[in-house]
Parts: sequence; structure tokens; C-alpha cells
Amino acid sequence: MSLTVERPQAELGETKTMNLIGAITEALDEELARDKRVLVFGEDVGPRGGVFMATAGLTEKHGLDRVFNTPLSEAAIVGAAVGMAIRGLRPVAEIQFADYMGPSFDQILSQAAKVRYRSGGQNTAPMVIRTPSGGGVKGGHHHSQSPEAYYTHMAGVQVVMPSTPYDAKGLLKAAIRGEDPVIYFEPKRLYRAAKGELPLADYTVPIGKAAVRREGTDLSIIGYGGVMPDAISAAEALAEAGVQAEVIDLRSLMPWDKEAVLNSVAKTGRAVLVSEAPRTSNFMGEVAYSIQEELFDQLLAPVIQVAGFDTPYPYVQDKIYLPSGNRIANACVRVLNY
Amino acid sequence: MIQPFTQRPIQWVSDQGELLQDLPERYTPEFIRELYRHMLRAREMDRKLIPLLRQGRTSFYAQAHGMEATQVGLALACRSGHDWWWLYYRDHPIMLTLGVPMLQIVSQIMGTASDSCKGRQMPHHFCAKEYNVASISSSIASQIPPATGTAMAQKYLGTDEITVCTFGDGATSEGDWHAGVNMAAVSHAPVMFVCENNQWAISTGVADQTASETIHIKARAYGMPGYYVDGNDVIAVLEVMSHVADQIRSGEGPAMVEALTYRVGSHSNADADAEKNYRTREEVAEWTARDPLERIEKLLQNMGHPISEEEKAAMVGEVGDEVAAAIDEAAASGTPDWDLMFQDVYAVQPPHLAEQEAYVRAEQEALA
Ligand SMILES: Cc1ncc(C[n+]2csc(CCOP(=O)(O)OP(=O)(O)O)c2C)c(N)n1
Repeated sequence: MSLTVERPQAELGETKTMNLIGAITEALDEELARDKRVLVFGEDVGPRGGVFMATAGLTEKHGLDRVFNTPLSEAAIVGAAVGMAIRGLRPVAEIQFADYMGPSFDQILSQAAKVRYRSGGQNTAPMVIRTPSGGGVKGGHHHSQSPEAYYTHMAGVQVVMPSTPYDAKGLLKAAIRGEDPVIYFEPKRLYRAAKGELPLADYTVPIGKAAVRREGTDLSIIGYGGVMPDAISAAEALAEAGVQAEVIDLRSLMPWDKEAVLNSVAKTGRAVLVSEAPRTSNFMGEVAYSIQEELFDQLLAPVIQVAGFDTPYPYVQDKIYLPSGNRIANACVRVLNY
Repeated sequence: MIQPFTQRPIQWVSDQGELLQDLPERYTPEFIRELYRHMLRAREMDRKLIPLLRQGRTSFYAQAHGMEATQVGLALACRSGHDWWWLYYRDHPIMLTLGVPMLQIVSQIMGTASDSCKGRQMPHHFCAKEYNVASISSSIASQIPPATGTAMAQKYLGTDEITVCTFGDGATSEGDWHAGVNMAAVSHAPVMFVCENNQWAISTGVADQTASETIHIKARAYGMPGYYVDGNDVIAVLEVMSHVADQIRSGEGPAMVEALTYRVGSHSNADADAEKNYRTREEVAEWTARDPLERIEKLLQNMGHPISEEEKAAMVGEVGDEVAAAIDEAAASGTPDWDLMFQDVYAVQPPHLAEQEAYVRAEQEALA
């Protein structure tokens, strides 16, 4: 199974091949160069370049006053970003692992997400919180969780998660240039596994738009983040059996592209929703709800969800926990045979 | 007299193994050898377990090399099986010194069926109920408020137990640290906060972590005594920690100890390139010259009771055999069953988890 996700889009112009983490580094580098208001900081992001090396070389190039280490305090990192943003900067804060957003939760919930609304639009917090999330790296529960649903539940923050290098760069640039706080989840198991073509020219990927990864007429597989290569491999396996699955990558969860999803499911009549986050209160519950609300009488089968389990993320059973290509394909067969 | 808020770390033995203060009575050559043996055991355990990574038999390793005096001294200053522990991930030497079996430690690191935590947590996140070691969390400083709670319970229940809570220098920046320390002071809870100040939090040096001159002086702001000890001097550590533990046990309320030591190895396997990326070889050399084991060797030499090469080789060999046997035994126990994943989420398995377990069972049977 290839982890490389092809972009079906045509006109990329001149391109180069990059992996997902390289695309993130490049987005940060270019935005730092483009806009003096951009600052990049967090635990170990400075001279060392971050634990995953996403910020490697950036301190050297842009200086310690723009790319720097902070004390080990997520509350201080996020809270400071809010204050900087209100004062006119464009902070990009790194939380070393999504699992460690806990200490900053109140700063996101009470400050970042509320600043614009409660000030009657007078104050805004245009900022980005970048954080590696998801499993598949033998990290146990403190280095593998997928907490995105918590953040889609707090009106006022945007939530995105790329699965290709192209989107990683374009979404990060859009997030930095946007006017709202954005939580930017990075599927860490794709950092080096996902490779793809990137335009040499500057571009952004709009927040709130899904991408069709593969066209099909028989059913819709909808996912985001780390599960996308498996969703695509499941679709390819089905194609060998003559079934054409459409594969949609949500890319943004808040706001999410309801229109793209409904268009696809209206066409295929069947939906399999894939996410590695625990099943209960998974963001895909919202997607399923919207599908049934809008397309109840066009559905040919119940909407099925393939998700992580409602257990803390286990260490030894890492691979069993994650939705595999096989598990996704089986769910597709189930909706096809309904 | 052991005093809080000293300007310099309290020492008993110099880097050259010379006595700087009179040794209390208990420090017979035999006892000092015993301290040495504990430190050597911790050091050799590390040395023998690191190769597990290269062999792909574990996925993470957090060395304690260089910090043995702090960890052994602390463990021996408290009452094993009686006092309670909220440790952090670099504290396997504390557990070993408390008497936790090597097999239990190695099994957790390898995630084998013999792991009493059922292979759920990443390596170095131990738990040993029989030694009152609460489960370790990797979320930095999240153990501080619960440690305060354990101590509040001990006070409420009228026990003569104390709680020991350890953390690195980095942890002192987290909000949880301040919240937990403050509440302990206000509630007069019998807890000893121990900062194992190894001077680096991954690549962030302590000067970038806090503008405070030392960690232990922060105790003053919360209203508790703060002690400063040379963390590479096992005798000073044992003396200071014993004194503080006694004070706490006698109802004096919480206290903080900062042990100044050094992380000689990498933060974890993820930064084997530490010297290239964030610290200098000179700094590492300066601290390896202050090695806690060598200091005791020199002390015993100066006392006229040197450890012979044969004696040392025998100790090293013994630990090596012990670790090798533990690795073999852990490996032989096999991999934890997949269905353990669905246990212990709640006291009683709710229907939705039973359903999810049945789903995976069907899937596993189809794959078999
Ligand atoms: C809340 C939280 N944020 C970030 C991390 C990532 N992380 C793991 S260890 C570490 C440094 C800890 O340093 P310190 O407390 O000094 O202990 P040391 O490892 O040096 O012994 C960091 C930032 C984490 N585990 N938890």
C-alpha cells in the first residue's frame, strides 16, 4: 500500500516533491519572510527545531526574536498568543503534542475562542496553534490521541487537519493569513510517509473546503487526517472488485464542507465515515447527522462510521486501534450489501 | 544542621571524594558500599536496557544516567511500601531502589504480557501498586495536584505516611505545578516536592525555563521551606531528604527540595544528537566529571576501604545477569492479548465497549 496521496488537481505549474512536515516548515519559513508580524514559538521550537524538526533552521534564518523557545507551559503559550494577536501580531504557537493541549484548554475555550464575540468584534485573535496529533507511532495514549472534536465544539475557533503536503502548506498559510484563531492538527504518522507535489508558486488552501481525492459513483468514503491513505487504499481495493468509491477528504472540520459531502452522498446514496478519534462524540457524528437530516430519502443504506474505540489509546494494540484499510473496505462492503 | 534556602547546594562529599562535613554515624563503609551498589544497579540497568531500542524491542527510552545519586538517595530516605509516590517518567531508579522487581520494570518498558499495567502505556510510565507508586503520566506536571490530594488524604486519615512528588525543572513552569504546590501549602499536606533539576527540559535550558535564580527559592513564595542539595552527592541527598521527610512526617507541612544534577544522556531516544543541537561537549564533560558513582568510589578510597576492580566487575556482572534474565522472562511471557484493550476503561464494561470488543473479535477471527 502506498502512502503517497496524489492530488488530482491539474494546474500546479512548476512543482517539487515534498513530504508533509517539509511542507509545514516551508509554509512557516515563507510566512515569516512575508510578514514581520508572524512569530513562531513553543517548547523546543527554537534552535533545536522542534521535537519533530518542523521548525528546523527557522531560528537561524529569522532570528531568536521571531522563532523561539518558551517555558514548558501550554497555558502560557496559548494565552500569550492570544495577547499578541490582539496587539497586532500573527503568532504561530506549537503545542508539542495534541495530547498536551489540556493545560491550554481554558485559554482556548475562554480566551481565543471568545475574544471576537465578547468584544463585539472590536478585538480579534488571529493566531494558529499547530500540534501533531493521531496515532500509529507506538506512542501510547499520551502521544497518540485525536482530540479534534473537543475543539469543534467551541464556537469561535477554526479546526483543520491536512493529509497531503499540498494541503499542509496551503492550509497553514491560509490559517496564518486568516482573521480567526485556527487549531491546525498535524497527522504525525504522515509527517514523512505522505509525499506529494507542491507548486513553487505561493498558494493557499481555503479553510472550510473539502477535497475529492477520488471520484466514484457507488459510495462515498469520507475522512480526514491520518486515515486518508487507508481510505484511499480501501477505495483502490474496491475498484479491483468493480466498485467505484468516491473519497472525500474533509481537510477542515470547523467550518466543514457540508455541501461537498451532501453532493457526493446524494450521488452515491451510501456513506462510510472514517476517523481514528474515539467513536462516541466523534466529529463524524455531526457529519452523519447532517447526511440523514438532508438526504434521508435518498440513502440506499445506513451511514456507517469506522472510528477509533472508546478506550484510551493503547500502546501495544496501536495498530488494532486504528481504522485499517481492511476495516474501511469491510464497512464499504456492508453498506453496498445492505 | 540542615537549613532551607541555602545559597549553594548542600554537600557532604566533594567531587574528589573528600568529606566536607562529618559523616553521621550510619555511614559505615558497608553502608556507603550499599549506596554505591544501588547507584551502580540503576546505572547498569540503564546501560543494558538502551540496546532494546536498537533491537526494536521497545519504542522509547528515557535515561537516568547521571541522576542516580538523587534518585537512590530519595528512595532510601523514605519508607518503601509505606510512603506514597507520584513520580515522573525518568524515575525508574527510584522504583528499583524501593524494591520493585526488575522484571516488573523491564516488562513495562517492553510492553509484554508480564507488564502489570497490561501493555497500555508507553515505556517508562510505570505503576507499582504494592509499593504505593501511583501510575506515571507523561503530561508534564499533571502529577502535582494529585500528589497534594494524596497527602491531604493522608492527613485526613491520620496516617504517618508522607507523599513524595518528583518532577523535572521544566515541570515547574506548568500551571499545574503552581496550583498543586500552593494547595499543598495552604492545606498543610504532608508532601515532599522534589525537583530533579537536571538542567535541561529537552532542548530548553533551565535559564530559558525560569528567571528565578534557583527552583527551591520558589517555595518561599508559597509558604514552605525550600532545600537545595547537590544531587550528585548521594550522602547529601540522603541526609537532606531524610531530614525533610522527618519534618513532614512530624506535621510540619509540605516542603520542597531541589536536587541539582545533570542529565548526561539524551532526553529520550528522539534526541540522540543533543550535543550537536543544543548543548556543548564542554558542559557535558564538566558534569560527567562530577559523576555520582565515581565520587563514592573516591570517598571509599579516601576512607581506606576502596572498591577493588574485581568487586566492581562482580557487581556489574550481577546486574547484567539480572537485567538479561528479566528481559528473557518478559519476552517469554509474550504479547498482551488484544482484548485487554477493552478492559479497565470503567469498573464495569459498559455495553458500547462490549459491542466494540465483539466487533474486533470478529475481525480478528476473520484474519486468523
Ligand atoms: C504537558 C506536556 N507538555 C509537553 C510535553 C513534552 N515533553 C516531554 S518531556 C519534556 C521536557 C520535560 O523536562 P523536565 O520537566 O525538566 O524533565 P526532564 O525530562 O528533563 O527530566 C517535554 C516538553 C509533555 N510531556 N507534557
